[in-house]
Amino acid sequence: MAEPENDDTSCQPGPLAGAAELHEPLLVVEKLDKGFRLNDGSTLLVLKDFSLTIRDIKDKPQIVSLLGPSGSGKTTALRIIAGLDEPTAGCVLLTEGAGKPPRPVRVGDVGVVFQRYPLFEDLNVFNNLIEPAVRSGMSRQAAKDKAAQLLDEFDMLKQGLAWPMQLSGGQRQRVAILQQLMQDRHFIILDEPFSGLDPVNIMNVIELLTRTANMHTLNSFIIITHDVTSALIISDHVFLLGRERDAKGQPIPGARVMKEYDLIAEGLAYHPEVEDLPRFSEIRKEIKLVEFPKL
Amino acid sequence: MATAASKIFGGQPPKGAYLQAVRLIGNPGAFVRANLILIWLALFVLVWIFNPIKAMPYPSEIWQTLGEMWRLQGSQGLVYNTYVTLKLNVVGLLYATIISLVIAYLSVVPLFQPFNKTVQWLRYIPIVGFNLVFLTLFTIGWPMKVAMLTVGMSFFLVTSMTGVIASIPPLKFELARVLGYSDWQTFYRVIVRGTAPQMIDMIAQNAAIGWVMITAIETYNRTEGGIGSQIYAYSSINNLPAVYAYLIVIGVIAILEDWLFVLLKRALFPYTTVAERA
Repeated sequence: MAEPENDDTSCQPGPLAGAAELHEPLLVVEKLDKGFRLNDGSTLLVLKDFSLTIRDIKDKPQIVSLLGPSGSGKTTALRIIAGLDEPTAGCVLLTEGAGKPPRPVRVGDVGVVFQRYPLFEDLNVFNNLIEPAVRSGMSRQAAKDKAAQLLDEFDMLKQGLAWPMQLSGGQRQRVAILQQLMQDRHFIILDEPFSGLDPVNIMNVIELLTRTANMHTLNSFIIITHDVTSALIISDHVFLLGRERDAKGQPIPGARVMKEYDLIAEGLAYHPEVEDLPRFSEIRKEIKLVEFPKL
Repeated sequence: MATAASKIFGGQPPKGAYLQAVRLIGNPGAFVRANLILIWLALFVLVWIFNPIKAMPYPSEIWQTLGEMWRLQGSQGLVYNTYVTLKLNVVGLLYATIISLVIAYLSVVPLFQPFNKTVQWLRYIPIVGFNLVFLTLFTIGWPMKVAMLTVGMSFFLVTSMTGVIASIPPLKFELARVLGYSDWQTFYRVIVRGTAPQMIDMIAQNAAIGWVMITAIETYNRTEGGIGSQIYAYSSINNLPAVYAYLIVIGVIAILEDWLFVLLKRALFPYTTVAERA
């Protein structure tokens, strides 16, 4: 599929809306359109007017979920936010700290933990962490020290000399996350981290990500998922991604953020027993039974 | 057979192991696998001895001829001719590997893709068809033989190596990009380093093609001898035991070459042995 070129020239770096607020925006996705040209000459619109803002939560772990059913354009959104693909229109702006002007995102600004956790198979776990960090400008000694510290934090020190082929799926996931944490990127996107896991392993991943976010409060995690319960347990904000329906109930091409759940305001964020709260059940029911079928 | 294998490898097969040998993707274990090799070898020798095609000499005749050729001195001897051909094979393979790697790596740059495709297409053309071109460009003898072998093998190597590069999952490139690798760093990490073990496999596979070409090339350039020229000479006087003796020599060298490449791959890329076991 060919990709139409970005014809939007209005999206220039500049002051962000709401920048004066206490929680300043860190990442702004503004009116993204993404279409793919098909072989018959028509265009398949995957995203339309897709906008979201992720604001800084000072000194708190930050996990945001982009939740939507399969085929709703989550991966397309991920690729554009990560700078891997160009949007047809719109832009993604990133701030690198207080007082710094926002700028369009470039590939490498945002870390991505892909599905199936690809690693460099010819490097052992330790070197999978060190080499990319050194390439990014970190000194070899600093990279070694940081890699050892992270591996220790994640109970992976024993696997430091193992080859990726020797790791279990869970261990690969941890190494893939650590590889991104080595990079000092503010945002790390995780593509479907709960996909294909049984309930016990889902809880393990939730625990892992929560622990990671707690230890690395300077990092913000964006989780791309279709798992409603996991997204609600782990996140402080949930963006519901989906498509409008026409009068006949057919989906209109082009997904966007249909609804945002501020789980901090709802009292559901940072709560160890969040699943036991009545409001959690209400929101989960609302998304599963009311919102999802419409998307 | 089981007794012979027991003596060599020790132990007894687990119950039902032989049934595994006839199952789809069965796992009969090392003991039965060893026995299967012995059984097939025995079958091969029996068919050879009792075969009704008289054009094929008996093993004893070939063995005897090998001994005679071994004792021959100078340009008629087995040692000299094997050395000439082996040297040609190694030098040709080395040049072909370097040239093919460069052409295959360049296939990731769109500018060079048509050139790469043309080289791949040329593998359908018999290399001796370019005899006149090589005669014009190179001195007859060693330089021309090396050039013909190098070019002939490169046509196949480029195809295989380009295939290896084309089969790299796009996710590997994207991982490098999100980790901040530059284009050149991505090229080195994902393409050069990432495919090195498969490249060794491709070189090993194409070394075999080299042996097929060598016999043809040495037939056309007989000035320095070599296995190809000897096979041609013995065929023309109908000395079949000598022809088969040389074919067996090629077979033995090919097995050793394969084994060397396996060792090289294991030594340079130890993680591939883990992958094989997995």
